[in-house]
Amino acid sequence: MSKHLRSRYPFTTLFLFISAALMIFPFAWMLLSAFKTPADVYNYPPKWIPSSFKFTNFAEVFKKIPFIRFYANSIFVSVVQTVLQIWISAMGAFAFAKLDFPLKKKLFAFMQSSLFVPEIVTIIPLFLLAAIAGLVDTYTGLIVAELNCAFTTLLLLSFFQTIPNELIDAAKVDGCGYFRVFLKVILPNSKTAIGTASLFAFLTHWRSYMWPLIITNDVKMRTLPIGLKYLVTETGTEYQVLMAASLMAIVPVLVVYMFMEKEFVQSITLTGLKT
Amino acid sequence: MICVAMLALVAVAIPVGAQTKLKVWFAVSGDSGEAFKALLEKYKATNPDVALEYSYSGNYGDTATKVSAALISNTAPDVALMAAGPLYTGARNDYFIETKLNDADLNKDDIYPGVWDYAKYNGRICAVPYGISTPVLYYNKAILEKAGIDLKNPPKTWTEFLQIAKTAQAKGNVSGTPDFWGFDATDVAWLFKTMLYQNENTVISVKGTKISPAFNDEKGVEVADFWKKLTDEKVMPVGQHSNAEKKFLAGNLAFLVATSARIARWSKDPSLQIGAIPMPYFKRPSVALGGNVLVILSKDQKTKEAAWKLVKFLASKENQTTFALKTGYLPIRKSGLNLPEAKEAVTSNPMYAIAFDQLDTSWSYWHFEQMGTMDQLLAQAIDALERNVLTPKATLDKAANELQAEIDG
Repeated sequence: MSKHLRSRYPFTTLFLFISAALMIFPFAWMLLSAFKTPADVYNYPPKWIPSSFKFTNFAEVFKKIPFIRFYANSIFVSVVQTVLQIWISAMGAFAFAKLDFPLKKKLFAFMQSSLFVPEIVTIIPLFLLAAIAGLVDTYTGLIVAELNCAFTTLLLLSFFQTIPNELIDAAKVDGCGYFRVFLKVILPNSKTAIGTASLFAFLTHWRSYMWPLIITNDVKMRTLPIGLKYLVTETGTEYQVLMAASLMAIVPVLVVYMFMEKEFVQSITLTGLKT
Repeated sequence: MICVAMLALVAVAIPVGAQTKLKVWFAVSGDSGEAFKALLEKYKATNPDVALEYSYSGNYGDTATKVSAALISNTAPDVALMAAGPLYTGARNDYFIETKLNDADLNKDDIYPGVWDYAKYNGRICAVPYGISTPVLYYNKAILEKAGIDLKNPPKTWTEFLQIAKTAQAKGNVSGTPDFWGFDATDVAWLFKTMLYQNENTVISVKGTKISPAFNDEKGVEVADFWKKLTDEKVMPVGQHSNAEKKFLAGNLAFLVATSARIARWSKDPSLQIGAIPMPYFKRPSVALGGNVLVILSKDQKTKEAAWKLVKFLASKENQTTFALKTGYLPIRKSGLNLPEAKEAVTSNPMYAIAFDQLDTSWSYWHFEQMGTMDQLLAQAIDALERNVLTPKATLDKAANELQAEIDG
């Protein structure tokens, strides 16, 4: 915000500063707590700045849990899920936005309604199916069952509808079938929306906890959110170690966001969506 | 050396196909998880005929969901260390453990009777108690020293305790903070249930197999009246119990009721000057039990037998006491307290003696499906009581009616 705008809208500026502070607060707390001593963590009233910066909290994380393995699993699973989900969602969104086919409205309503079903309701029947298919403790089980495409399909659909039909007709005249129209016209013109949908999908999969916990028993198959839970114990949690692990865990999310920030903001403007 | 060589030979001699496969899930992590894993590894090393697979299954709530899903799909573990275990055995009419209680290796009578109640469903044992804890009344030594309070003769009743907590609050503010309190508890429902039983209220009543709330009778209301007194006289803060532990460790709270599982952890930190006294009571001394149990979920008889062998090993005097002392849970066997390591723990840390002695008067109600809901309703009732939203009688009646509706389905 420029100086001119700040002086013209003082209340808006103040509101934005307060909102930003509220958003930054938990991150700042996590960052500082990752370097605290146990005494600093339990200090009351809370102490912002650590009495001495304790870098060994990070080493403790690697001693207590197989952090690298959890990290690698999380990255692999989240990336594959995001790619698959966006691919399936984009194809679905294209069909709903630009094609006519029998039962289209009913299928669309069915897909939309799936958004209203909480995860905890579907988790046991889903696990039953996965167990029958022999997917317990497999990457396939981890990945496939969590491809929740409805939200990203709707997000992409609203964008695909803005692509002029004339472009599609022109491609058809040039001899393109539906799949080539999708590949050559729809996808190249929807980079912003696909970037946003990817970010939403990646964030959802990166922080997923319940399904990976249910579908895996082998510690080698587990992902980072479960790994962080290993650090929360019944007899008391070492918050400084947990915060160090959490700080390392959010790095990929920050990297993804840094690369896609522009698309993310643009798409919010275009689709009116918020996280 | 010879033993190790023989074991290695036996291990080589047993083909993988002849091994009994046992899957174990456990709902404890951190030091507790490591201590449990060490015992499983010990079993693995001495039992080459068993192929043991084990994994952490998340906290108590997560493990409950995971076990529920696994039971439906026939992928349940053979042994699980979890909270509310009887709801996954007895409630499914699986009383295999009950048939094994006379096994001489188990030595059932060596385990505290109150602790066995924690492993029952419909009055029948269907689990083996394991990581058991009780509420303990801790105090901050520096605060009490400043207030001139000597706890050589600790208060016996809650009324006596209230006076001491008031004095500690008035004279012991070592940190000089305005947010300084005499008493608080981390788990209000747990302490409230302890107080109810101390006042000769059974929390729930059981007629045959029918369970109904009993915490709202006259004796229950007396307890609620005392609880209100704690907040009305500003010895305990209103509705800030989730911060109680933090305040206590920061030196802003004189007395705290928290789980006995904190003893091992807090004792490791030399900067914490903390002691414990026996829990005060109303009419009779008592503490409510909490923690986890071992359950056997296998389906076929052969695996059940192998699982039982493992459970006996884990619950043996030496192994359960080792687990208890490493984690802060309590030894469940009377003989466990005579082991040199338990005696050493009591000598070097008197807080252990307080927690261990409380086991003599510990109690538990049988498990029932709505027990989690009951704890939530009690916590809400206490909150309404502290905030003067409802009278003690009205708030307990409301909780009891809601619980009854939940039980009736």
